[in-house]
Amino acid sequence: MSSSIFDSDSNSRFRSKSQAQFQSHSQVSNVFRNNSGSVVVKAVLGVVALALGGLILFSFSKGCNHQPGIGYNQGYQPEQPIPFDHSLHAGQNQIQCKYCHNQVERSTHSNIPALSTCMNCHLVVKTDSPLIQKMREAYDKGDSIPWVKVHMLPDHVKFNHSAHLEKIEKHTGEIACKTCHGPIETMKVVYQHSTLSMGWCVNCHREPQYSAPLNCSTCHH
Amino acid sequence: MSDNHSSSPDQENLNSTYWRSLDELSEKVSPSANASAEVKKVADAEFTQGSLERRDFLKLMGASVALATTSCIRRPVQKIIPYNKQPEEITFAVPNFYTSTYLDGIEPLGLLVKTREGRPLKVDGNPEHPMNQGGLSAKAQAHILSLYDPERMKGPVKNLLNKTRSNFDTVSTSWEDADKAITAQLKKGNVAILTGPVLSPTTQMLINDFCQGFKAKHYAWSPLSIAHLVEAQKVSYGTATLPQYHIEKAQVIVSVDADFLGTYLKPTTFAKQFAVGRRNYKKMNRLISFDSQYSLTGANSDLRYKIKPSEGASVILGLAYEIVVRGAKSSYAANAQVKSYLGNYANVAQEIGVSPELFSRVAQDLWNAKGESLVLVGDTQSDVSFEAQVAANFLNSVLENEGKTIVAGVHSGTASSYGSPSEILQLLADLNAGKISTLVVHGVNPLYTLPESLNAKDAFKKVELLISTADRQDETATLAHYILPDNHVLESWNDLDFGNGVVSLQQPTIRPLYETRSIHLSLMTWAYLGDRGPKRLTTFETYYDYLRNAWKEELYPKLGKGQGFDDFWDEALQKGFVGTPKESSGRSLKLDSLKAGSPAKAVKGLQLHLYPTVQMGDGSLSNVAWLQELPDPVTKIVWDNYASISLKLSETLKVKEGQMVQLKVGSATLEVPVHIQPGLHSEVVALGLGYGRTHAGKVGNGIGFNSYKLAQASKSDKNQFLQLSGISVEVIPTSNFYELASTQSHHVLDSKNDGKRKIVVEATLKEFEENPAANNHKHKIFSIWEGHEYKGHKWAMTVDLNTCTGCSACVIACQSENNIPVVGKKYVLQGREMHWIRVDRYFIGDAETAEAVFQPLMCQQCDNAPCETVCPVLATVHNSEGLNDMVYNRCVGTRYCSNNCPYKVRRFNWFNLTGNIEKPLNLALNPEVTVRSRGVMEKCTFCVHKIKAGKNKAKLEKRDLVDGEIKTSCQSSCPTGAIVFGDLNNPESAVSKIYKEDPRNYALLEEFHAAPTVRYLTKIRNNHEEHRPQSEITHHKKGGHA
Repeated sequence: MSSSIFDSDSNSRFRSKSQAQFQSHSQVSNVFRNNSGSVVVKAVLGVVALALGGLILFSFSKGCNHQPGIGYNQGYQPEQPIPFDHSLHAGQNQIQCKYCHNQVERSTHSNIPALSTCMNCHLVVKTDSPLIQKMREAYDKGDSIPWVKVHMLPDHVKFNHSAHLEKIEKHTGEIACKTCHGPIETMKVVYQHSTLSMGWCVNCHREPQYSAPLNCSTCHH
Repeated sequence: MSDNHSSSPDQENLNSTYWRSLDELSEKVSPSANASAEVKKVADAEFTQGSLERRDFLKLMGASVALATTSCIRRPVQKIIPYNKQPEEITFAVPNFYTSTYLDGIEPLGLLVKTREGRPLKVDGNPEHPMNQGGLSAKAQAHILSLYDPERMKGPVKNLLNKTRSNFDTVSTSWEDADKAITAQLKKGNVAILTGPVLSPTTQMLINDFCQGFKAKHYAWSPLSIAHLVEAQKVSYGTATLPQYHIEKAQVIVSVDADFLGTYLKPTTFAKQFAVGRRNYKKMNRLISFDSQYSLTGANSDLRYKIKPSEGASVILGLAYEIVVRGAKSSYAANAQVKSYLGNYANVAQEIGVSPELFSRVAQDLWNAKGESLVLVGDTQSDVSFEAQVAANFLNSVLENEGKTIVAGVHSGTASSYGSPSEILQLLADLNAGKISTLVVHGVNPLYTLPESLNAKDAFKKVELLISTADRQDETATLAHYILPDNHVLESWNDLDFGNGVVSLQQPTIRPLYETRSIHLSLMTWAYLGDRGPKRLTTFETYYDYLRNAWKEELYPKLGKGQGFDDFWDEALQKGFVGTPKESSGRSLKLDSLKAGSPAKAVKGLQLHLYPTVQMGDGSLSNVAWLQELPDPVTKIVWDNYASISLKLSETLKVKEGQMVQLKVGSATLEVPVHIQPGLHSEVVALGLGYGRTHAGKVGNGIGFNSYKLAQASKSDKNQFLQLSGISVEVIPTSNFYELASTQSHHVLDSKNDGKRKIVVEATLKEFEENPAANNHKHKIFSIWEGHEYKGHKWAMTVDLNTCTGCSACVIACQSENNIPVVGKKYVLQGREMHWIRVDRYFIGDAETAEAVFQPLMCQQCDNAPCETVCPVLATVHNSEGLNDMVYNRCVGTRYCSNNCPYKVRRFNWFNLTGNIEKPLNLALNPEVTVRSRGVMEKCTFCVHKIKAGKNKAKLEKRDLVDGEIKTSCQSSCPTGAIVFGDLNNPESAVSKIYKEDPRNYALLEEFHAAPTVRYLTKIRNNHEEHRPQSEITHHKKGGHA
């Protein structure tokens, strides 16, 4: 991140050294050490810092086209390599979520099904569709479909699907998946329904009927 | 809050009882001065040079961080790539466990390998295994890192050797081409295979088949040979064997240079057995050691006497004299021949500098426990170690231990498979005579481990075709024509014989990462292509088939219990072993063997003792950074080996800590730094083996000094071996200095009081028998606050100092479990090592006698945690189950918490250490634990992810948690079971029983009233003392004790 500052620096002595040092662990200490206080360096760095500040203000005022606010990915709806239609499978055909996402009850992660799961049906169902044929081809070759991940949590958050299902189902009376993932059975292309922000998680954890833990290490460890 | 901390005026006059280093003992440096000097050094180096000030730099950094987080860049697109066909056994993010086996030195260990999505993540001991029962050595746990070593060979290569074979250029080749060329050469004859100890019966069978087919010769050898032990068994009892020891049945154990808790034979199994006798408070065992180095066994002994390596045999014969002649006891007392023979050892006590009363008391102790005692002698490869073994066999027979605490081994193969130095010497002779034209080297590295005086390099150059199966271009492989890398042990099938009727399978837990092939399959392929050898060697397509067939033919008829072979095999895989430990009956000693045990005259002057270290062993795992950064259990030095000498010798030689000295043995010389070690004999120079590799890889190259160079080929023709100990050495000081990175003065507790507070508590057995809470110093504590309420679980831990041997297996277990980075020697010197659990070592006594105590220290998860109150951003907070949560993503790195921690267990990430590791080392990272980035504090979490997983498992199965179901990583690795973890709110749990019922339990620095949830249990010394010396605690002499 900080390398951008140094790349734009005009002092060649500084640049060559710092670039090498960014490969090593001792980067910070060496940056201090090797700047023997050139006024030019300081001035240039100062200008760069100001310019960056300007940029930040600019980006705040303008906003981004696709991204609502800072940080959260709510509404993220990437295109998938095969346009799998949840509204058809889960909505119209009423296939249960757990038929495909079958590990959700025993794993922290809800699995994206292997191609073999798709082929359970599609070896006979709609075999004339070009998309199914594409899938069939990949299946026969031993390839996998590189699906685009929709729901992304930061690396320092540990969410456990299996721990949530039963409690949510008991208290809401509906299919637990929908509480967080929204009306999946209506989605032609899946999008991120909730913010998946920490405040959003904690809101439920605070509800007395769930008696859910509120420890930091419940999610962060 | 505790009361009355004000220091009394006479505090100045008292010496501390416990000390960490000689500087502290001599009060040249107080621990606090030491600590501040370190901080200053770092600060000077990092923050005062240059003139772009730190604050300016941070401002600019802040600007760029802000930019990166707010600019219009979407998070990187992540892909999910599911399986093509869902493997039945894999549930994403749910680990699978497989049993396997690992050979650590010559100790076979049952493993439980944790894998996730088909990749091994962590190795634990197999709790069901009859031998190690869950405990696992540091080396065995760290070997998983060698699987992901980026410098492993990726496939077979051919060396582009020039005429002098001095270049190291290689070109990759295909297995087909290599096989073709090799088979053609093999057919010409004069084939030999050199291997390490072969403890696998099926590997031995395969090698035998191969040797039969190609008329090849098999040489087995290990640099840390136990040939003297095996040979002495033959001389004394008629059969060469590795005996089984029952340390758990022994009341009195005398160890003469046998570091059985650290490196000798089966240290993990032995530690387990030793702890059994240690826990038996009604009849606690007594460990007496005669020690040439300061070994881990010496550090755990109740009585320790320092000796020279050459005195090993006479110590035992001296003890025999005390019993048989002076005491006129045992069945040999009337035997004139024996008496006249032992008469030469009447004055051993004076010769070794131990008072005759103390020496005869050792003999008395042994005799009093006859039939329940054990005399163990290390195979240190000194010129008296064979004689010492024979003498020990005699003494064990005098003490009627044969058949009780020591019995013959039960081998499926031959005892010669443990390897013998005479074989490598024979090989060198055969090479020099031109008798060998093709040599396969597997599992040993002779060009690293053989002394230069043997000219092994020239001998190996005479081979027409040299094949190495090393996983890298190691010292020996630089001369090889072909390097045909063997699979990693976690990638291959094999079996191992435990030497007592138990046989275990080694099963692969991952497909080979690279184009490697097991040595077994290589030999089978060559036999097939050359059409040589018995049918079974050439028929099977894989070693798995060969192994299965061998088990069907050999083991199944013997050990099968009426079930079909498939069931037998599956059960072996599932349980991890077949067979039950067998007891063989006692043997009768051949009395005339005693004559073979006359030790030679001792060398005069200084003696060099080369010893394997706990962390490095023979040096084969030296590219594993975890082991390089594991502090030596006794000296606490990392990333080096060094010549340990006594304070007295350092004064005679006028050398200081860290000064380089030249060690001169005959024509061989080696310059090494000096480490002044308390409790050493003043005529001993002890130097660790396994360092100074030149072709180990980026981590291991150039670390330490190759002390194998100083080994000596013994001169006698009858008993050929490579002498590692008791070598006459000349020490020539130089004017150079070298920095040794020791962790012993880092993270000092109680620095303000210079060690006068009670940190480790000890009592003698006599004190303990009178009062089980002896020396356990309690305080009157009152609090102005009610404290936390724990409605659900309350996690707590106890650590028994009496059974902790300091082996440091827990340190590696924690490192592997919690993604703890390695920082390197430079940063260890600055006190920046990252271990969440450390094993503190304290000495007591003076520099000559120094007795050691070990204390593992991890986050104490205090109820009134001092760290929590000072964090300005609430990054460390108390949780409802008594844990002290550390929230990495909130931490801004003020390090106030670390300053305020009385136990000094918090570690700061000065750099993004784990983020920078080289691929594929990242595959060894545990996905259940967050990788910490730069600027973040971290510490022991009580393995909170395991707690969560355990709780969730119970919840999904709709049942309550069972005590002992959740085990922290340190706990499950501990061979002696010194660490107990559990729920304090469950009155039936093991941990709450210890809390309530064991009067030995104490909280560390109780008077601070941080209310830690870790409790330590007093160490009990079973010596002859009435009282353990206690430091007068002066900080509240006026009252305040409970």
